[in-house]
Amino acid sequence: MPLLDVSGLTIAFGSSEVVSDISFAVGAGERFGIIGESGSGKTLTSLAIAGLLPDGAQVSGSIKLDEMPLPASEKAMARLRGQRIGMVFQEPMTALNPLMRVNAQIEEAIELNGNSSAKMDVPHLLAEVGLELRHGERYPHQLSGGQRQRVMIAMALASQPDLLIADEPTSALDLITQRKVLDLIAEICSRRHMALLFISHDLKAVARLCTRVAVMHRGQLVETGPATEVFAAPKEAYTQKLVAASRFDLRAQDRAVSDETLLSVDGITREYRQGGMLFWAERPLRAVDDARFAVRQGECLALVGPSGCGKTTLAKMIVGLDRASSGAMQLEGITYHGSDLPSALRRDMSLVFQDPFGSFNPRLTIGASLGEPLRLETGLAADQVRARLVEAVEAVGLHADMLERYPHEFSGGQRQRLAIARALVTRPKLLVLDEPVSALDVSVRGEVLALLSRLQKDFALTYLIISHDLDMVAAMADRVLVMEAGRIIEEGRPEQLFAAPQQKLTRDLVAARLPDIS
Amino acid sequence: MRKLLAHPSLTIGLGATAIFVALALLSLVWTPFPIDQIDVPRRFLGPSAEHWLGTDNLGRDMLSLVMAGAWTSFLVAAIAVVIGIGVGVPLGLAAATWGGPVEWLVLRLSDFIFAFPSVVLAILITTLIGPGATNAVIAIGIFNIPVFARVARGGAMSIATLDYVAAGRLAGLNNAQIAWRHLLPNIMSLLIVQGTIQMSLGILGEAGLSYIGLGTQRPATSLGLMLRDAQGLFLLHPWLSIVPGLAIVLIVIALNLAGDGLRDAIDPKLRQENANALA
Repeated sequence: MPLLDVSGLTIAFGSSEVVSDISFAVGAGERFGIIGESGSGKTLTSLAIAGLLPDGAQVSGSIKLDEMPLPASEKAMARLRGQRIGMVFQEPMTALNPLMRVNAQIEEAIELNGNSSAKMDVPHLLAEVGLELRHGERYPHQLSGGQRQRVMIAMALASQPDLLIADEPTSALDLITQRKVLDLIAEICSRRHMALLFISHDLKAVARLCTRVAVMHRGQLVETGPATEVFAAPKEAYTQKLVAASRFDLRAQDRAVSDETLLSVDGITREYRQGGMLFWAERPLRAVDDARFAVRQGECLALVGPSGCGKTTLAKMIVGLDRASSGAMQLEGITYHGSDLPSALRRDMSLVFQDPFGSFNPRLTIGASLGEPLRLETGLAADQVRARLVEAVEAVGLHADMLERYPHEFSGGQRQRLAIARALVTRPKLLVLDEPVSALDVSVRGEVLALLSRLQKDFALTYLIISHDLDMVAAMADRVLVMEAGRIIEEGRPEQLFAAPQQKLTRDLVAARLPDIS
Repeated sequence: MRKLLAHPSLTIGLGATAIFVALALLSLVWTPFPIDQIDVPRRFLGPSAEHWLGTDNLGRDMLSLVMAGAWTSFLVAAIAVVIGIGVGVPLGLAAATWGGPVEWLVLRLSDFIFAFPSVVLAILITTLIGPGATNAVIAIGIFNIPVFARVARGGAMSIATLDYVAAGRLAGLNNAQIAWRHLLPNIMSLLIVQGTIQMSLGILGEAGLSYIGLGTQRPATSLGLMLRDAQGLFLLHPWLSIVPGLAIVLIVIALNLAGDGLRDAIDPKLRQENANALA
């Protein structure tokens, strides 16, 4: 007898069906994963099970918990959510009340469940999710992302639920924290014999946690089966594509890396003034601390590190968006300190942003956005500008007609291609790529990386990739720098560095890598 | 567009506003009776087929007065909004893009203006250039400046953190170009909503200033001036106060409904655009 039985679930908004005719069952204590990309309807499915669908959603089909259909009244549903179903959301910062201490929030979750000895249980729950007692006294903003997600899990556990729904619980966390939270969820589920409905786009995370998986694509359930079978021998074409995309095998292309130095960074430091009064100001925060390295012409250098280690700040100074507090950089032998980068040099370097949705002005056509960097090149006639734009768009495998369209008409993967096209219009030498694929769906990541690697060869580009994704770095980079708390602590070729890491952080990063599926 | 009109409060608000504006515009070319036609024997009449809204203490047709008065009110409020947008938005955008001392100056300047009650400022202006509708426009317009400056700054600051602004900077755009090309178009919807609300506040402000004698002067008319004329006769002929009063209330409600509706209509649209990113 399954604990959760979903049959024929269909969710529609007006005339558009977002989830169509989905059926699956989760047994007591079973760990079930739903895999899907953005827009596949996986989150709406989980919200339907928790009875939290937004207004205006039309639902048909049945959802049964222990053979009983979900109650229709919101009040009964709320009680059920409190007692039988726990939920963990993607973004722990917005899911916690910023004005309440952690203890109070967990206590509230226990009390709502009708338990009067709430205060007694809080320390146990904190311990169970691997937090210390002192963390309970803090407010959410005083905790790190991983700690906040642990608090969310503690609150979900407060009611001793039979089913835990976790919707992308780790995608906002960095690599090391992600692994720790995944391990924690796995451990708690087996200890409490609690069923898990794990929703994610990350095949490796699902493979780590779940025994059975379902693959969703455009609102439909494509494939269901035991995790090992689905990953080892996927039957459907879409699943095969996903499984293939979860591995990066580009590596080893014959590019000429010259010995000439294109960019050298000499002891760059960036300090931020922290709060405090005029005279007794606190010690400034050092985001980047004496960074030194050189990028050779034609190479692909990767900068890895946990979130908050200063890698994005460093990238901003290199491209000239921020100014270094001390130290200097040299691009093609010309010294600069960040925002004083001479505009003649600006066109030799460009930046590709992480989030393809924020990197285009929604009110400008793609052509207008792409043409913007061409202001750096003086004396281009209108038809030359047009030719450059067409050249750039075609280089990333898109059609010149798209220049007249607006950003919202494109998917995330296409936008990222267009962002790369914008970075190419000035025919730069150095491309700085800030997490170029981490905001993209798994199935298009491979395509974008293949594109980047082809472009590097075709246009003799030099790449500086900033990322926390070691698999991607291993596939792309010739050389890797590891950054921790503003300092560069280790350097080496990826295969050698990941096989024998010297520093503790590098060892942690390597250990946190999820095993390959199948 | 069809989605916008599906909003009931927006449809009602915009529809009612359009009717009032049409009546006000009509008064420029035609009113049932000339507004300066005095007919003392036929004064204090109630509504009739000939005078739909009756006549006032001098026998003038009230419907004609309301139409002409509404025009004055709309004109004063609209010019004041234009002043507010014209000066406030550039100031707000400058504060958001330049930051530092420019921002400090703009913010302190708005604090300074906010600290004065509008009536005090209007009295000050009156002593300088004498009473009149122009006065009301200037006084209300000055008060619109910090409102729009703050709205523009707030909206622009949240846009300025987005990657496409950074991309613009990398492309060598200067602050003014960033503000014009990337920030302004993306805060337009905020400004439209705020503009509608400031319109309704401006109409109230004009009525208030005319009522205390600092705004529109005879022979021109405005809704506030009609109230002023009627106040001495309120106990004997309440109708004379009720007509302009009700007209003000209806116009302000219509504009507020339109403003609220626009805000609602614009917000979910934003949410819907992001729906793909969330799912």
